Amino acid sequence: MWAIIKKEVKTYFLSPIGYVFIGIFLLAFSISFNLELASSNGIIDFQRIFIYIFTYLPTILVFAFLIPMLTMRSFAEERKNGTEQLLLTAPVSITKIVLAKFISALIIVLIALLFMVMYIAIICHFGTPDISVALVTLFGFILLSMAYISFGIFASSITENQIIAAMISILTFVVTWVLPEFLNSGSGFSLINMFYKFTTGQISIAYTVTYLAFTILCIILTITVMQRRKSAR
Amino acid sequence: MIEVKNITKKYGDFTAVDNISFEVKDGEIVGLLGPNGAGKSTTMNMITGFIEMTEGEIKVNGYDISKKTKKAKKQIGYMPEGVPSYHELTAKEFIKYMAELKAVDRKVRKEEVNKVIEETGLGEVQNKLIKNLSRGYKQRVSMAGALVGNPDVLILDEPTVGLDPKQILEIRNLIKELGKKHTVILSSHILSEVSQICERVIIINKGKLVAIDTPENLEEKSQNKNVLYVTVEDKNGKMESIKEKIENIKELKLVKDNEDGTKQYKIISDVENDLRKALFDILPKEEITIFELKKEEVSLEDAFMKLIEDEKENNKQNTEEVEDKINEKNVKTNSTVKTKKKENTDKKQKNKETKKENSNKKQNQGQVKEKKGEEK
Repeated sequence: MWAIIKKEVKTYFLSPIGYVFIGIFLLAFSISFNLELASSNGIIDFQRIFIYIFTYLPTILVFAFLIPMLTMRSFAEERKNGTEQLLLTAPVSITKIVLAKFISALIIVLIALLFMVMYIAIICHFGTPDISVALVTLFGFILLSMAYISFGIFASSITENQIIAAMISILTFVVTWVLPEFLNSGSGFSLINMFYKFTTGQISIAYTVTYLAFTILCIILTITVMQRRKSAR
Repeated sequence: MIEVKNITKKYGDFTAVDNISFEVKDGEIVGLLGPNGAGKSTTMNMITGFIEMTEGEIKVNGYDISKKTKKAKKQIGYMPEGVPSYHELTAKEFIKYMAELKAVDRKVRKEEVNKVIEETGLGEVQNKLIKNLSRGYKQRVSMAGALVGNPDVLILDEPTVGLDPKQILEIRNLIKELGKKHTVILSSHILSEVSQICERVIIINKGKLVAIDTPENLEEKSQNKNVLYVTVEDKNGKMESIKEKIENIKELKLVKDNEDGTKQYKIISDVENDLRKALFDILPKEEITIFELKKEEVSLEDAFMKLIEDEKENNKQNTEEVEDKINEKNVKTNSTVKTKKKENTDKKQKNKETKKENSNKKQNQGQVKEKKGEEK
């Protein structure tokens, strides 16, 4: 499994995808950070700054477009190039293959998040923010990433066309984001809305469980798809 | 050692592989032969565990591919059709990745990778990106990926497709070399290749097993007559009379009238009679000088075509057999009605004839059954 993770992470950086992902990711949040500071007129609410950095726009950009970009190739490309024959005839179980794909995409997100520590450092330099809020926010962000990565990988496993895989994830994300707003029910099943609970510095057990359950469900679905395909090929 | 028992693969109503069984012994090179779409790749994919069979059982070195998947897969090095590889990696990176994927021990991994690179002759290009390599080298990279980890069994799907003649020769030699240490199954639709490399050939057509035998035996089997070509200088024009001198000549035909005054004849006889000795004995006595005498070579191509056509005929015969039985009954009833009207002597003759016919038919049926038995 480690072999696949290593190779996957390496491939992300052999193609532009890894760099583009981290680049746009940082650009979005930096703009958000900058706008927040500019609009604060010198009085910075260090307690709540993370809520503002992770405002809708950059977060949605990351999840609706960047994560699908990251996950679209995971299985679709292997299938198209025929390399899945190498992967699936190797003495590695399908569960491990799927987990390896999941973890390697998560690693890219974590690398991008590592740069976010920069903001904490800057804020710390100028004031005394609530570090726990920052950490809880990052924790929530990671949970949300896991949920979306697992869905993106699932989308990639059901098609051999990367673009279709990306479209499936993007559409699903957009629909689950827009629909609760549309129906005027904030409590609807919206992964992004749940995340905002975390930006207040509270760890919500219910939401944590929901995220994890969603992630596990998508991974199990992906494993099932891969196993079913074995007898349908 | 690979044991394949009664494997069947169905896609809905379409049967891609139909009840195939065979065994490959340790250290054997076996060729899987068949026209495109015969089910070669499907069979190989089932052995490697990439596809699950609908029915049947496959064991690789004693490990069942559907039950002890991991252990069975560890025995196999697989080179899929179309030599897929990760184009963004270099040759060495790819081979290293395959080694890691196959859980080659960390201590020997580096050594193993270098050994395989040497074996496949990739030394010069090992640090080039696979996408920039020529087709021949890509093939070698894929082969190296299969070889790494030193698996007992190598499964190579069309290993020489798309190569130039020099590369084909090199790959063939490589496979022959590998066959000394590994059990190899390779598929091909190039028959000459199979006869050169493989010790045994498995012929598949339309998902069914047609034959398993050595290339030599297959060639021999397909011979049903001896054909000789003899070029002679025949000043007195006695060649035509040779047919009476040698009994076993079935057919004597002038093929070519050469400009230098020699003539080439084609002589056909039954399989059991090799006429070469007789020709050498008798022709000089008739003052005919032999310039050249050669036997017609039956290639594996002929054997292959014949086997596939035989199978078609068998299928036809099966349906005809049923029709024959129905006709037979009609003949019997007719003949009894007729014989009543005729004289006794006639009756006896007629009876004899019908009996003969019946026994002939029975014989034919017996042969068909025998053939079926052989197939099974």
